[in-house]
Amino acid sequence: MAYQSYRNSTLGNSLQEINFRGSLNTYRFCHNAWTFVLNDVEFREVTELVKVDKVKIVACDGKNAGSNTTE
Amino acid sequence: MDQNNSLPPYAQGLASPQGAMTPGIPIFSPMMPYGTGLTPQPIQNTSSLSILEEQQRQQQQQQQQQQHQLFHSQTLTTAPLPGATPLYPSPLTPMTPITPATPASESSGIVPQLQNIVSTVNLGCKLDLKTIALRARNAEYNPKRFAAVIMRIREPRTTALIFSSGKMVCTGAKSEEQSRLAARKYARVVQKLGFPAKFLDFKIQNMVGSCDVKFPIRLEGLVLTHQQFSSYEPELFPGLIYRMIKPRIVLLIFVSGKVVLTGAKVRAEIYEAFENIYPILKGFRKTT
Repeated sequence: MAYQSYRNSTLGNSLQEINFRGSLNTYRFCHNAWTFVLNDVEFREVTELVKVDKVKIVACDGKNAGSNTTE
Repeated sequence: MDQNNSLPPYAQGLASPQGAMTPGIPIFSPMMPYGTGLTPQPIQNTSSLSILEEQQRQQQQQQQQQQHQLFHSQTLTTAPLPGATPLYPSPLTPMTPITPATPASESSGIVPQLQNIVSTVNLGCKLDLKTIALRARNAEYNPKRFAAVIMRIREPRTTALIFSSGKMVCTGAKSEEQSRLAARKYARVVQKLGFPAKFLDFKIQNMVGSCDVKFPIRLEGLVLTHQQFSSYEPELFPGLIYRMIKPRIVLLIFVSGKVVLTGAKVRAEIYEAFENIYPILKGFRKTT
């Protein structure tokens, strides 16, 4: 069940490598979680390219991959 | 060396006639407190920048300047040391009629550039680092690794370590004013987060400068003649570590001719240390 919902999520659909490049607006590290806000980011996958003005990345360590939200 | 007969015995071997600087002779002797007194310092400069400007101006004015007897500090009082007989009865008798200020003679014309300033300030109140890390931008806080918030600002590009006691260390600025300005910006950030931050006891703790003499240097020779001050272990570190006594500055001297000066509390010490070391380095210039 959990695996299915994972496969339906954004993360589950992007199994190939993704590169992204942008400029760092702010960063934060607290409670062992990194929060980045990037501007003018290009997400580059083999197949496609997505450009976005602002992206917030929240990441933490661990075997289970950190949560990844975009806005 | 006839002119040097009136010198105290300990300084006699070290003085040299006008215009000559004999390399290889250990000029820096721990027994020699202020030098030979051959070239008195009539004016004590308070501002480091004015020393430099004056030196450069004099260099332009006079082609032939008297070679300055090198000792560790140039900005000295004119009073003779107890027990030492001064060469000149009057403290205001320059050898050359024109020089009013430190007759550095052939001052290098190279100004060390400040690369890093470390300063501390007390914000005067206890801080909750978790709140700061969560609400401020560009902050890191990992209490397991280090008990302070590491915050950065872009202008002036600096990094601050903010401790829960309210004390703060600010690093990375390229000038004293920038360091102070950056520290104030960090204090304002903390203040905006709701803490009653003040700006107490701002103090510059360390200044680092660097420059290039533009010629290669024989470090082996330098460590042989100045062994009381130098330490050179090429297998450990490629630079010679010269610990100057007055001013108390540590210089890293490299074969390429690049020099790093650190340990200064004021800009003047960096400039002074470089003006002291430059003639020595010239004496150990690599000729091949």
